[in-house]
Amino acid sequence: METIELLILLLKFIVFPGAIFCIAYGFFLEWFDRKLYAKFQNRIGPLLTGPKGLLQPFADFVKLLAKEDITPVGADKLGFTLTPLLTVAVSLFTLLFIPIHSLTGVLSLPGDVLLVLFISTVFGLLIMFAGYFSGNRFSMVGTERTGLQFVGYEIPFALSVISVAAAARSLEITNIVNYQVNILGLPLIVFTPIAFAIYLISALAKLEKIPFDIPEAETEIVGGWQVEYSGKKLAFFRLATDLKMVFVSGLAAALFLGGPYGPSIPGLEPIFYTIWFIIKTLIVMFILSNLRSLFARYRIDQVVHGFWKYMVPLAVLQILIVEGLIFMGVI
Amino acid sequence: MSVEKRIFKIPVGPQHPALKEFEHFVFTVDGERVIDVGFRIGYTHRGIEKLAESKTYIQNLYLCERICGICSAAHQGCYAQTVEELADITAPPRGTYIRTLIWELERIHSHLLWLGVAAHEIGFDTLFMLVWRDREVVMDLLEMISGNRVNYAMSTIGGVRRDISDELKHKILKGLDILEERTKYYKEVCMKEQTILARAANVGILTREQALKLNAVGPTARASGVDVDLRRDDPYGAYDEVPFNVIVYDTCDVLARVLVRVDETFECINMCRWLLENLPEGDIRTKFARKIAENEVVGRVEAPRGELFYYIKSNGTDKPERLKVRTPTLANILPVCEMLKGGYIADIPIVLAGIDPCFACMDRALFIDENSEKKWVWSREQLRIYSIKWYKEHGNEVVRERWKQ
Amino acid sequence: MPLPGAMEKELIKLIAKKPATEMYPFIKVEPPEGYRGKISFDIEKCIGCGLCAKDCPAGAIEMVEDERTKLKKRPKFIYSRCLFCAQCEESCPRKAIKLTKEFELADYNKEAMVIDV
Ligand code: SF4
Ligand code: SF4
Repeated sequence: METIELLILLLKFIVFPGAIFCIAYGFFLEWFDRKLYAKFQNRIGPLLTGPKGLLQPFADFVKLLAKEDITPVGADKLGFTLTPLLTVAVSLFTLLFIPIHSLTGVLSLPGDVLLVLFISTVFGLLIMFAGYFSGNRFSMVGTERTGLQFVGYEIPFALSVISVAAAARSLEITNIVNYQVNILGLPLIVFTPIAFAIYLISALAKLEKIPFDIPEAETEIVGGWQVEYSGKKLAFFRLATDLKMVFVSGLAAALFLGGPYGPSIPGLEPIFYTIWFIIKTLIVMFILSNLRSLFARYRIDQVVHGFWKYMVPLAVLQILIVEGLIFMGVI
Repeated sequence: MSVEKRIFKIPVGPQHPALKEFEHFVFTVDGERVIDVGFRIGYTHRGIEKLAESKTYIQNLYLCERICGICSAAHQGCYAQTVEELADITAPPRGTYIRTLIWELERIHSHLLWLGVAAHEIGFDTLFMLVWRDREVVMDLLEMISGNRVNYAMSTIGGVRRDISDELKHKILKGLDILEERTKYYKEVCMKEQTILARAANVGILTREQALKLNAVGPTARASGVDVDLRRDDPYGAYDEVPFNVIVYDTCDVLARVLVRVDETFECINMCRWLLENLPEGDIRTKFARKIAENEVVGRVEAPRGELFYYIKSNGTDKPERLKVRTPTLANILPVCEMLKGGYIADIPIVLAGIDPCFACMDRALFIDENSEKKWVWSREQLRIYSIKWYKEHGNEVVRERWKQ
Repeated sequence: MPLPGAMEKELIKLIAKKPATEMYPFIKVEPPEGYRGKISFDIEKCIGCGLCAKDCPAGAIEMVEDERTKLKKRPKFIYSRCLFCAQCEESCPRKAIKLTKEFELADYNKEAMVIDV
């Protein structure tokens, strides 16, 4: 009996909804993002690998794996090799907390909202290390920029998540989802639209997409922190970015859009929930792609300035609104 | 961290994604601020001026055209015009009009191309893609007129090589309408979009005094409030007949450079319409004898990037004795260094792009040793031997030192 | 603070629009009339005067012996060097040279990129 349970748990970790599903879905999201980005620019986007270019991200990954892997003379060998692996591992780990096929994630602990927030800041730190360890000037500038940007977006991001947690009066993702499904009967976005907007904007910064792709700005600092990475290591970084996309959109779905819950046939919940999860994350992804094709890149000082001057007060306002609503007994 | 530690040098180029061509800039930065700029030109030196001395006047038409890919018509036209003056012939009015039309169509294409590149430099790839999509309209028009998208080969000594039929005229007018509508839209976007304004307004300032002192030319100068335009100040081609306005902005920043170019595009569109409607009848070219008596002439045109200057000396044969070109980018390279000082690293690409640099056409210079001010000209073989020797002696230290910095 | 995002309307419109990309090489694009592509040479008309070779800026034309023309010479076009300026077409007194619309000229073999009749 015990071995079978263990086996099932292992399958959950590794196959579904754990590592393999998440990686595959990450590739899918990247394809979706690229295709949409192309659409917004009146282009075609990935086209030839797989139906409609569906396998392109995967093909890119495999191709990068086979490429020559160079460690520069000036790099810190251990750190340089370890950071990409760590980044992937950390991203995969956070994904275990995201509810995908049921109302709870594979892992669920009291206070895991904080844990997830904490681990997601590690993304930023790892990127800084990645730049720092490669010992290149462009990477240095990239690292500095990552640090500065990090100071900008992390607080509003956390505050937007906190405002949801405040509304549900819980710091556990499962409870927040349950609260939306069973108690409120509505996704929380109805009461926290400002927090949702802030979440998305800081998510763009977290994912380093335009207008916040400052740390890796190709035309300015040639790829910034990732300039020295090639071959396998670069492949892992790209994979990590895809996983982060799953994480960001999945967390948005869980916190703001009622988690993977939706109408389903009793007994077939895992399948239907997964489908709802995919639909909701695609909606989030659509907004993110749209945003990133809409803007020019900001300058780093403008980003920090903007986040602190506009986003933080707005996020605080949102928390106050939520408290007010609770006080009035609306939620 | 001590103060000195934060100051380090960032090389931009010879190869850098922000530069489409090879050129070397060294920025001394303090954190994100640029405090000093050094540059080294000459990476795309191709020996064109020397080559021109061994080719006939006819052959040089196509050589000069290839000095620059974007303003090829300006180069070829300027060359043809200068040789015409040298040989004392004049192109017939219809030929001059068509030549002017090509110049203006090329200016549209160049300015739109620039707008796209500028958008790309500030990470606005959507605008970049869409502008370039619409630029295809004018590229197609040029292809229809001349038979090629890039090197039109339209001007020849004594006129132009192809006529414009009535059917083609209608097509061009239709294309111009589309271009006008799209350019209007892009102007609106540039004026409204906050992210563009945030990156372009008050960035890369070049005051009027600096522009005058450092001899800025073309749109770069006009964006700094310097009212110069050869088309008006020293009319050539059909410019003394075409009505047009010289666009001048005086905010001196990148935004002004954007707006000067966008507004100029409108002017170009109107000029093209006027030229097509008032196209005189008659021949498009006159005969040209292959040999030119001893003479020397300076010719100037206003290329899309600014004043383009040709000097040609003839010696009685069918080949020029000396051909000298001064391209607008060379004139704008000192102003751009001035613009960059005090700015952010993030502004480097857009400010550099702001002058619409074309390094390949600029590089016709000597090597100048920065330290000793000694000019040197080396053959490739000498350079190779020297470099091998030098690296044998210093190689390892250099690599290590580079990493340390 | 005015909000950024001036292009949103255009973007929404673009979703439904057909991409501007041409599907070359699957769908070929016909160049316009008067395009300057690969050279076609008519030996019947040629007199072997060599004017084309003299004016070619790229040295893409070599004059070789040939019995068929009046001056016992004919041009040989090495179009891997050609820059498609059409100066030869213009210089030829007998209109023996014409530039066609053909533009897909790449070849693995440089020696094969010659027009020799
Ligand atoms: S088209 Fe120009 S380059 Fe080509 S063969 Fe003719 S003259 Fe020479
Ligand atoms: S110019 Fe014409 S006639 Fe003379 S050799 Fe060339 S192809 Fe023949």
